[in-house]
Amino acid sequence: MARTLGCALWGLETALVTVEVDVANGLPHFAIVGLPDTAVQEARERVRAAIRNAGFEFPLRRVTVNLAPAERRKEGTGFDLPIALAILRATGQLSVDPDGLCLGELALDGALRPVRGAMPRVRRALLSGITRAYVPIGNAGEAAALGADAIAFGSLRDAVAHFEGVTRQAPVGVPPPAQVPPPIADLRDIVGQETPKRALEIAAAGAHNLLLVGPPGTGKTLLARALPSILPPLDPDEAVEASAVHSVAGLIDPERPLLVARPFRAPHHTASHLALVGGGTPPRPGEVSLAHAGALFLDEFAEYQPQALDTLREPLEEGAITISRAGGAATYPARFILVAAMNPCPCGHAGDPGIECTCLPDAIERYRGRISGPVLDRIDLRVHVPRVAYEELRDERTREPSSAVRDRVCAARERMRARGRRTNAELSIAEVKRHCRLDDSAEALLAEAMRVRKLSARGYHRVLRVARTAADLDRSDRIAGDHLATALLMRAAP
Amino acid sequence: MIALHREDAGYPPELRELRPAPDPLWIDGDLAVLDRACVAVVGTRRMTPYGERVARELAAALARSGAVVVSGLAQGIDCAAHRSALGAGGASVAVLGEGITSFLANARGRRRLLAMELRAHGALPPIVPAQGWMFAKRNALIAALAQAVVVAEAPIGSGALITAADAARLGRPVFAIPGPLGARASEGTNALIASGAARACLGADDVARAIGLTVPASDAVNDPLLDALASGPLDLDALARRLGLERATLRPRLAMLVLTGAVVDQGDGRFARGAG
Repeated sequence: MARTLGCALWGLETALVTVEVDVANGLPHFAIVGLPDTAVQEARERVRAAIRNAGFEFPLRRVTVNLAPAERRKEGTGFDLPIALAILRATGQLSVDPDGLCLGELALDGALRPVRGAMPRVRRALLSGITRAYVPIGNAGEAAALGADAIAFGSLRDAVAHFEGVTRQAPVGVPPPAQVPPPIADLRDIVGQETPKRALEIAAAGAHNLLLVGPPGTGKTLLARALPSILPPLDPDEAVEASAVHSVAGLIDPERPLLVARPFRAPHHTASHLALVGGGTPPRPGEVSLAHAGALFLDEFAEYQPQALDTLREPLEEGAITISRAGGAATYPARFILVAAMNPCPCGHAGDPGIECTCLPDAIERYRGRISGPVLDRIDLRVHVPRVAYEELRDERTREPSSAVRDRVCAARERMRARGRRTNAELSIAEVKRHCRLDDSAEALLAEAMRVRKLSARGYHRVLRVARTAADLDRSDRIAGDHLATALLMRAAP
Repeated sequence: MIALHREDAGYPPELRELRPAPDPLWIDGDLAVLDRACVAVVGTRRMTPYGERVARELAAALARSGAVVVSGLAQGIDCAAHRSALGAGGASVAVLGEGITSFLANARGRRRLLAMELRAHGALPPIVPAQGWMFAKRNALIAALAQAVVVAEAPIGSGALITAADAARLGRPVFAIPGPLGARASEGTNALIASGAARACLGADDVARAIGLTVPASDAVNDPLLDALASGPLDLDALARRLGLERATLRPRLAMLVLTGAVVDQGDGRFARGAG
């Protein structure tokens, strides 16, 4: 009877699993119990072959593996290493108990392969006071980046050699932080578009959602791609959370596992709703979760399947998405800035002074109707991105670079943090009441808006949050008329 | 929905001038509306922002003068006129080129909602799918019902020009709103004026006076901001450039005008002049 420690993963939820192996006399038999799914069941074949091909002996006796606690389903290939080590320990081929979290998939020749989701599992072990993690070389960076004592193995043989003290492996050093990738676009390179740039700045500072509407070729995409250049850096806890989602999705660079730049995801408009919010069994994170702590850019917003767009409602409101499947539910974080871009009409030229629009009014209405009211209601900022005249394109005056805008955004976030929230988009209704003090001109505007019933209750609070961000960017404690007017004029839903 | 025969008391007397007069005439809604002075506002489906604005302003002013705005509930100018007349608190009649049930089965979105809101619509039995020839008959019916016809915007070949010709044949005063030279959407209306077939309509007053009504003085604000929006919707940056204003001073003013309805949000971040 031997015990090793593994870790089970459902979404980002984790639980330590004790792998118990009992080797008894009887007919040769190998069973895994404790609700293993198919991938864990198949561990039997991999472990049997790996043990033999690594030069050890697989017991021709009755081998029972129990994954405790036994009542929850276990998935994935990460249990191969703890099962193999426990079998070797139970049969006396290993003389010491492995004293940390074991994680890894075995190849038939005994080599160790990296697994998805190493980061949240190592974090669970660290939170439970287990600092040592035995992982495949490909996962070593992820474990070390979190501060674990990570011992990396290339094969089962290496692992046994280490435990027996034949060749001790030193803990892997903390990997260097990833380089911040150079931004794709800088606001300095975008001519004109003063109001769209201001909307982008407000979106970046307060984490408000933004819709850019304009004819094709006017720079909607360029504007959206300039957003990462003005986003503040990731907080350490945000970095771990976002990296954990990427780890579960298998998108981590093994050399530099911790994200340093905020993610910017731009799925194509043919993406299905499962690709956007995640799905499958076991449920994998979708684009909304991969964009967590960063931005999700949906170009050609009106071309997405209406069903796909409607699934955005929950993450936009809750900042998280729960995917329920027969095997269980997984919850992934999904707090992102939505940047959407669309043409004003099917031909794209409505309101373009240069090219005549050929669409009939009903066609335009149908096109805009593809974005449902509830989704539009969650978009706080909508701006028109017009075609820029040729004379303006030749304008050589210096424009404000992204770095200067980013400084303002960071200063505004600092004010928001002083209020106890990361961004203004997260302000609760009570906090909106407490922190959104209006000056006289703003008060008059808001009174008029309420009088003509232009605002729903949700709209009222959303407008005030945006106005609060506009005021924060101006370093103003009170919301002035201009701040509130900006929020009212840019609001997408009536 | 009722069917009115030629010999019935409620049958609109103007329609008896038509050869052949529709018999029976199918009407859904408030029949009393047809006793009031009716003005037809018609135009192209492919309207420009200019055409939309003039149609809206004209219909609203006519509605305030007490006239009933008659049109065909087609996309474009027709709908703009109906909607604006209802928005100004007036009544409006739609003459459909198909049965109302067939129309509602096909129409979507705002045009369907508009049909539900109208005070009266009709001409054909409820279930008659649209066919090309019916629309020419519909145009003649609009011309006959109205005491004056205004073509708001029409290119050469537009169905609205058929309505104008029908109206001229029936002896109804015909007005056309002049449009910018060189704009295809206004070639038909400009040609009507040039040939003398229509009088140039320089405001709702011209039309109202022709049928013995007066447009009450409007309390519309005289704001240079609204003048800047006369030729079509603009976004905030373009408006600031045109007025030579700082955006920070423009925004509160514009927001207030949007709230009062003098300016309307186009749904794509641009702002247009309201009907007021």
